[in-house]
Parts: sequence; structure tokens; C-alpha cells
Amino acid sequence: MGNRQEDHMLLTGMWVEKYRPSKLSEIVNQTEIISSLESLIKDPTDMPHLMFSGSAGVGKTTTALCISRQILGEYSRDYTLELNASDERGIGMVREKVKKFSRYAGMVDVPFKIIILDEADEMTSDAQTALRRIIEDTAKYCRFILIANNISKIIAPIQSRCATFKFTTIPEEEMINHLETIAKKEKVKADKNGLKAIYDYSEGDLRHAINLMQATASIGEISEVNVKISAGLTKTSDVDDILKMALSGKIIESREKMIELIKVYGMSESDFLKYLNSAVFKINHEKISSILQVIAKYDYRILVGANPEIQLSSLLAELGKLEK
Amino acid sequence: MWSEKYRPQNISDMIGNEESRSLIIEWLTKWKKGTKPILLVGPPGIGKTTIAYLIAKQFQYDLIGLNASDVRSKSQINEILLPVLGNVSVMGIPMIFIDEVDGIHGRGDFGGAEALIEILKEPTIPIILAANSDISDKMKNIKKVVKTIFFKPIPPRLLKIHLENIMVKENATLSLGSMIKVIEKSKGDIRSMINLTQSFVTGFDPPVEKSFENINVEDGINAFFKANSIDEARSVLYSIQIDPKSKIDAFYSSILTSNLDNITLAKFLEIISEADMLYGKIMKTQNWRLLRYLNEILIKLYKNDQRMRYSQYSISWPLLNRIRWDGKKIKSVSSIMAKNLHLSSSKFITICFPYMMFCIKNNKLQLDSDDIFYDIFQKEIELIK
Repeated sequence: MGNRQEDHMLLTGMWVEKYRPSKLSEIVNQTEIISSLESLIKDPTDMPHLMFSGSAGVGKTTTALCISRQILGEYSRDYTLELNASDERGIGMVREKVKKFSRYAGMVDVPFKIIILDEADEMTSDAQTALRRIIEDTAKYCRFILIANNISKIIAPIQSRCATFKFTTIPEEEMINHLETIAKKEKVKADKNGLKAIYDYSEGDLRHAINLMQATASIGEISEVNVKISAGLTKTSDVDDILKMALSGKIIESREKMIELIKVYGMSESDFLKYLNSAVFKINHEKISSILQVIAKYDYRILVGANPEIQLSSLLAELGKLEK
Repeated sequence: MWSEKYRPQNISDMIGNEESRSLIIEWLTKWKKGTKPILLVGPPGIGKTTIAYLIAKQFQYDLIGLNASDVRSKSQINEILLPVLGNVSVMGIPMIFIDEVDGIHGRGDFGGAEALIEILKEPTIPIILAANSDISDKMKNIKKVVKTIFFKPIPPRLLKIHLENIMVKENATLSLGSMIKVIEKSKGDIRSMINLTQSFVTGFDPPVEKSFENINVEDGINAFFKANSIDEARSVLYSIQIDPKSKIDAFYSSILTSNLDNITLAKFLEIISEADMLYGKIMKTQNWRLLRYLNEILIKLYKNDQRMRYSQYSISWPLLNRIRWDGKKIKSVSSIMAKNLHLSSSKFITICFPYMMFCIKNNKLQLDSDDIFYDIFQKEIELIK
């Protein structure tokens, strides 16, 4: 797309970008998927719409980008549209962007244009129904690669239009080997315990793991101690704090922190709820099921209501009441 | 109700806006198929609805009156209006009057305003629209296909004469002071003035703010929690005449800033959450008739509570400022970086951004002093514990 924003200088220093595979064959772990994808795109004109599911940081987006590069070659940047459903405000925006992008066939010799729609499971079922139409309307010139964490959140009609690939989580050993390779190339000392700590903390998310390793490397070698220092940096720790504050009755304080995350930093409400959910399992609380019930109640209310801030504030207040 | 009793019976009985009235008469006498519809613009209670009904009566049209709440979606508009437009001979001579057109909510999906504009473009019968304001984008589009006639507030001099006439007919008296108060309060709104007068002379003399429409939010919220009975609270609630979202927000921010105990806070916020769900349903389905239940949800907040004070903002000033300034900068950071890292902004800011700032802090990533994001990065680095 012509209006692509310039790369920021800092990004080139990010290891996640530096070591992102550029060919399908370089992708970590997903050997079966990769070999069947490779045969699928041998004759690109036959390529169906694709759907990748699997947890975060296992290579779904990277695989999609590799496919685009392998099929479209030098034109991949101009003939690939990348959208993230959690960023686009409603299906209207998606429709507009896709429509604009797919209106004409490519001017150069490419078999089709590629639309990568990340976090597709973040779309409401209404939006997905609309998406189904969009996929049909643009099939002549475009192929979709849909990416989702959870395939059961994708409506059946869309699933049936795609060839689905389920990405598996990266096993500990393979992840640690990969991290070790990067550490070597960056000339950073890394011991086994440090790497294992990274693996544990990142919960199988390779992107997170590489980021964490880079942050750790900025204070010294990759040791368990150093990893622990860096691991608390992410905003998910803020969500942990918010939960603790709310449960101890500091409602106003926890609410201000929640609003800071969402309104200053731009964490999405659905991500907030996701991290809040996992935060519940990190604390040892006897009323764990009551807590989850409260969260579930307001997760639903956000879908129905008009103002997520109101719903989340009420959620925290109700958690504050639980303890007593 | 005096305001109904003294609703003018003829156009000539009306007061004020003589010029606009004669423009309307001229429009209807010269009306033929294709003549542009007219749009009456002006504040409430100065005779827009009245003149529409009177002119229809005097010129023997069957007036089909619609409120904007009847015509909010495309299908509703077509369902109600198309039969009228198509079957002129069967129905006699119809005329359409659509009140509060500025209240049609312009949600793209429902296409209410667009459907209306299509009808306005080729009118087969006279159509009169009325609105309080003509400044929204939607009104600009409507204005392109209609002739606009403005109605001004009635000047105090005319209001006084009108009021004195009514007092004579009702055989009632009102002190000059009260009369001036009533006229001032009404701000040129005849209906409000007559209502207020009636409540004064029948001995019902609560503070003016509580007695009738246009009560402001701050006084309304404060009066609500100071009310001595639920009925009083209810009447205050109904007289806070602002849009539902502002009403919910006003209670929400007041509740959060009134230093309530946790139990009350949770209970109140749950009620607000319920109100917000109702509002969400209304917005999503455009079933505006559900709005009538909003006040009955909010009334559950009633409790004579001296701690409650109105507040417009529900978060601290430092945070408000951070949202306003830092929030904007961070948003532009993530809109560039998240795309290049193939991530959503939310995921970028949660996972990558903090690590990135940490690397800059430890001088492992180089930050130029002429970097467009230099200030905000410096600020974020200082925040790292």
C-alpha cells in the first residue's frame, strides 16, 4: 500500500524483527504445517483462503507474511493488506479498507492480492457475518489469511471457506534452542536456568520470549536473576496489581490504574479482561470461582453495554466487595 | 393543563414570529407537487408544532404527525411514509409533519436520515419538519433539500401580555415578581412559561429548579440525593432533561467522587452498569422506546445521602492530563510501531513497549535526541521502577 508509514529507527534494533524468519523453511517448530503449506502454494492459483489458529507467539503471523513473500515476491509489500481486527473500529472500517484494496486486480503479474486479518476471533459474530460477505465478494482478486487464537470463536461459515491450520505450542526444548542461537549471534552469555526462566515466564510465546531476552540482555547476561528483574516490566503485571488492589478493597486506586492502562496506553478492553483472567490464576485466593463469575458477568455486560469504562469500574467495585 | 388549554386555535392567535408564520402560509398556498418541504428551526416551546397542526387544520389537510422517535431507521421511515406518499387519493389530502428531526440518530447502518432525505427530494405532498438545531452534519444534508424557516424565542414583552391575558381568563393573580421570574425562567418558551405559571398559582411553589424542565445536571444530581422521599427524587430525575448518555455519565462520575464506602460504591456502580446496558441495547437496536425504562433503573440509586455531590469528572486531574497528552503521543507511537511489528496496538503496548523502554534505559537501544517520540520515551523510561 502506498501510504505505508515509515519504519521507526528503533524497530531495526528489535530482535523480534531482526530474527523474524523470512522463509517458510526457517519457521520454528511447525514442520508439518509448513510442509503442507509449501505444497499448497506450489501452484499459487490454487491456493484457498487460509485460517491459522493457535496461541500467541507460535508463528501464525510470520507464516502468513512468509507466504505472501513467497507468492508475491518483490510485490508482497504493495499487494498485501495487513489488518488487525482488534485495532479496526468495527466491521465498517474493515469493509472500507478491504473494498479499496481489492477493487482492482494487480497491475503486475501476481496471481492475487493477499489480505491478512489478524486477531479475527476478536470480531463479534455480527462482524464475522459481514466478513463472510466480504470474503465472497472479493474472492476473484484476493485471498484471505485469517489468524485467530481460538478457532471456536470463528463462525462456521467462515471456517468452512478456509483451509484451517492449527499451530501447536513450541516445546520447551525447541524454544530454548532457538533462544540460544539468537543469544550466540548477539554475543550474549546465557545459562540454562536463565533460558528456562524465560520459557516459563513467556508461556510458550516465542515473541514474548525474544523480547524478554533482549530486555534481560540490556542489564547483563541471561541468568535467572536478571530474567526475574526484567520479567515484571510488562503491562500484564499492572493488571496483576489492579486485581490485587481491587480484592483488597482499594477500588478507586485500582480503577485509576485500569483507566491508565486503557486510556493512556491503549490496552484493549478485551485484552484487559484476558490478562485479568490469567491474573486470577496467579494469586492464591479462596474465592477464585466467585472472582471468575464476577469477571464473566462484566465481560458479557461489556458486549451488551455502551461504555466499557463503566462496566470495568463496576467490575472492580464488585471484586472489592468480595473480600469482606 | 393550561399549556394545552391555551394552545392557540388559529394561526392568528399565535404570538411572536409573525414573519416566519406568514412565510409558512405563503409556502402552503403556493404549494404544488415538487415544492421543497420546509424545515422549522428554533428552541422548544415557541410554536413550531402548533403552527404545523394549525395550518393543516385551516387548509384542511390530514396531518400525519410523526415524532423522530417513530422514524429512526430506514425501514421504519419507508414503512410509515411510503404508503402515505403513494396513496394520496385514497387518504384525502395528507400532509406530513416530522418533529425533532435533529433527533434521528445517524447510525450508518440504519440509514434513517438518508431514507428521509430521499423522500424529501421528491415530495408528492406537503412536508413540514421541525428541529431545535440545524448545525449537525446530518441536518446540513437535510437542509440541502428543504427550505429553512427560523423561529425565534418569544420576546418578554409579548410573553407578559400573553400571561396577563391568561391570568384574566383564569381569574388568577400572580405577583409582579413571580411574573418576571416566570418569564425569565422560560427563556422565550411559551409552553414552559404557562406550565410554570400554573404551578405557581395553584400554590405548588417548590424552588423553580425542581418544578419543571431545563433543570441543570449539577443541581439535578445534588437535589436527587437530597430529596426527602423517593417521589421527590423521581420528579427530580425526570426533570433532568439531558441525553441519556450524559445522564448516566453524570451519576457515574458523581458516585465515584463522593467518597462512598465500598459496599455502597459497588451497589451504585452495579446500578449504573445496568443503566449502561440498557443504553447499549438501545444504541445497538435503535429501539428508543426502551429509553422510558432508564429513569426507573436510575431511581434505584435513590438514598438520602449527604455524601453525594455532583462531579463532572470521575478521574483525578493528573490522570486526565496524562490521557490528554501522553495518551495521544503513545497512540501515535503504537500506531507506527505495532504495524511494523505486525501486532495490534494493544499487544504492542502491553508486551513489547515496556521491554523496548527498558533497553533504551540501559543504553542498549539508541534513542536519538531528535527522535519524534523523544519526550514521551524519556517520560516512560523515568516511570520504570
